[in-house]
Amino acid sequence: MRQSICGRPRDIAGRYGRILCLVALLAGLNATSVAAARGDVAATAAPTPASLGARIFRDASLSASGTMACSTCHDPAQAHAQNNTLAVQRGGAASDVPGFRATPSLRYLNLNLPFFFAKDGTPTGGFTRDGNAPTLLAQAQVPMLAGHEMANGDAATVAARLSAAVYAQDFRRVYGDDIFADAELALTAAQYSLAAYEQSAPEFHPFDSKFDGFLRGKWQLSPQELRGFALFNRPDKGNCASCHPSTRQADGTPPLFTDYSYDNLGVPRNAEIPANADAQYFDLGLCGREDLSDRRDLCGQFKVPTLRNVATRRVFFHNGYFHALTEALHFYVQRDTNPEKWYPLDAHGEAQKFNDVPAPLTRNVNSGEAPYNRGLGDRPALSDAEIDDLIAFLGTLTDGYDPATGTADPARDVPEP
Amino acid sequence: MKHHSIALAVFAFVALGGSPARADEAALKAEVETLRAEVAALKDAVHQMQADRGAAQKPALVAAPASTAPSPAPAPTSPLAAAPAPAVPSAGIALGEGTTLWGYGQIDYNHPTARGADAQADLTRAVLGFNHVFDESTRVYGELEWEHAIASADDAGETEVEQLYIEHALTPNYGVRAGLMLIPLGLLNEHHEPTQFYGVERNFVETAIIPSTWREGAIAGYGSTDAGLSWNVGIGTGPNLGKWDPTSEEGRASPLGSIHQELQLAKAHDPSLFGAINWQGVPGLTVGGGIFTGKIGQATAKQGDGDATFPADDARLVLGEAHARWQTGPFDFAALYTRGTISDTQALNLSFLGQPTPVPKSFWGSYVQGAWRALEWNRSALVPFVRYEAFNTAASYAPQPQGLGTPPLPTERVWTVGANYYLNPNVVFKIDYQDFNRDDSALGYGNRFDLGIGYQF
Repeated sequence: MRQSICGRPRDIAGRYGRILCLVALLAGLNATSVAAARGDVAATAAPTPASLGARIFRDASLSASGTMACSTCHDPAQAHAQNNTLAVQRGGAASDVPGFRATPSLRYLNLNLPFFFAKDGTPTGGFTRDGNAPTLLAQAQVPMLAGHEMANGDAATVAARLSAAVYAQDFRRVYGDDIFADAELALTAAQYSLAAYEQSAPEFHPFDSKFDGFLRGKWQLSPQELRGFALFNRPDKGNCASCHPSTRQADGTPPLFTDYSYDNLGVPRNAEIPANADAQYFDLGLCGREDLSDRRDLCGQFKVPTLRNVATRRVFFHNGYFHALTEALHFYVQRDTNPEKWYPLDAHGEAQKFNDVPAPLTRNVNSGEAPYNRGLGDRPALSDAEIDDLIAFLGTLTDGYDPATGTADPARDVPEP
Repeated sequence: MKHHSIALAVFAFVALGGSPARADEAALKAEVETLRAEVAALKDAVHQMQADRGAAQKPALVAAPASTAPSPAPAPTSPLAAAPAPAVPSAGIALGEGTTLWGYGQIDYNHPTARGADAQADLTRAVLGFNHVFDESTRVYGELEWEHAIASADDAGETEVEQLYIEHALTPNYGVRAGLMLIPLGLLNEHHEPTQFYGVERNFVETAIIPSTWREGAIAGYGSTDAGLSWNVGIGTGPNLGKWDPTSEEGRASPLGSIHQELQLAKAHDPSLFGAINWQGVPGLTVGGGIFTGKIGQATAKQGDGDATFPADDARLVLGEAHARWQTGPFDFAALYTRGTISDTQALNLSFLGQPTPVPKSFWGSYVQGAWRALEWNRSALVPFVRYEAFNTAASYAPQPQGLGTPPLPTERVWTVGANYYLNPNVVFKIDYQDFNRDDSALGYGNRFDLGIGYQF
């Protein structure tokens, strides 16, 4: 009998024991799985959960349309974010069902935290834009089943597609010969594989940006990048670091440029999202979750993302309203000083601010701290020239920096599939 | 208990076997009563001897004249107390053979004159200490403290071990100690009990620059000479620059207070050295100084997975101070100057660019103080005082690219006028008014009046 990691004779361990085994394995990812996580290792070494995850991640045959893999929306070459400018992606059996939110990057999620309320009440951590998935393993299930994504609908469909995959035999070697007999367990095993891959594969968290090299003393930032860095940190200017901390963490981990919290920025409503055609529809973020539906104060809050690789994003914010970094930054500092630039005007020519939040909940929009603490006609916290400096700095957060050419490419560290 | 047993046995022998029998029962009763009284008196004497032993174990310790020498009794009895009580204060309570319990506490009320809404009352600290003498040359000394009344997961209070060390006298004139001990810099750090300083709050210089109560894990030698010179040198842990938070106000309030480790899972790669010397050759006069230095990077860049993102492993702290105090007649004058530097912060501060609190290159403070024992009656005394302080927690920074540097902080200057009223040597009521040249609400700087209660036993 071949040795499997969590496969056990049926008369000894039951299904729940094997699920527990999978969870325990996830908690104890070791160096072997790290080494095997790279896609190029999968073909030559004994299969591991992480190496299986690398193959599942790129397997479009696991979707109802046969054309959508995880990597379709989370393109490794695009820092595991979307590679087009669509506000939302389309999925389903005919690839014609639109989603609801822009695709977040999967990079650096290995250091994310489970969802919790901090001591001061701040919602913190969690996966997906509303933190509804407590772990990477749980998050991996969402797109596999969701009707607007891979649209498998249920575990049985996923298990059937897995059993027909080219790596099905390796899947059995890792999880047991009878793994496909239990669809729920097979789905959990696939989630586990994906989580192991995302946690251990270096390309998901390379920490090799120009800024990382600067922190390590390997090279310097340019004068413009330094100016932008100062503007990023200064509480009276960009104040970006208040939610996107730029200092190393207490345990020595390089900065992740997110504090894992949530915020309501009053981003304009995006007509490119088909769901928004219904004027009564609002994506309420945190309070849209069943477990937080009575927390109206949290309505409109979405997760603060890492700013690593932000310069490579094709769309910005949860609803993908902006398509250029300079637009997003101008919105930050001119939202309140020049609202007519961002919101539709009413019959009196006044900007309808915060038009993607139901009227009674607009008070939830963050208006208290810089750079939002300005009024109509005030000077914005950053000038155009300063925004250029800030963009120069944000460019140093792109993975895959090559000092020889002075360029960065997040695809540089991604192995060939 | 051994002394008690011996005394009882001696008197039992005298009473039952050493005296001739008496027929007169009344006379016998009277004699028994007399003997009982004598036994009680002897018991008291034994207790007193034990207390004295706990408070002053041996002549070398008792003779220690300055702050750099050991303070075998609870610190309040030190002759270098910053505000001498009108009579000899308590030496603690004898718990049993060789063990003394002592303590102090402080309750403060602060009322900013311009922001009355920020008025605050606080049980600042309650402290219990112990001193246990193992033999004539070795003891253990500890201080346990609660700050801000309640310490729990949901409260701002703290509970902490402030001192815990073993001390061993090698000769009557010098010895060694090892453990968690106070750094012998300044006038206040080693003598921080509320009956020992003037004013409701400890002075700013010896909290913002010398981070009282500053303690480190260390091994130290101490001693004194007949000429009134005392010394203390040691090697131990130091601050950890890896703790510096450029987004916080803590480093601006007290650079070293924000990165000291207090022997709590302390990073200990880089040892620090300290030394202090005091001369008390003329009665009433103390002149001295001290220095503390060490690398404070604590090899942070090499910790964990070796992903070196900490560019200040070679940063070195040097903190020096000089002080003088003259107690003559009813007057008590004191002056102190201290200055600190931290080297090799340029690259670290570059990674903090734009943040509100970079690491300072230099910081300093000084004060002069005068007090007058104006009234004294029975065991009480009224001691008005005045103090002028100037200090700067970030007098300079390492240079940064042009236009991106942080300007040094302005110097804070504080006048404090008030009085200590000693109900008795161990209980003090305080009142003062403090005038700041510059308000800084984030740090609590602003004109205010203060009330305080303090005690020690």
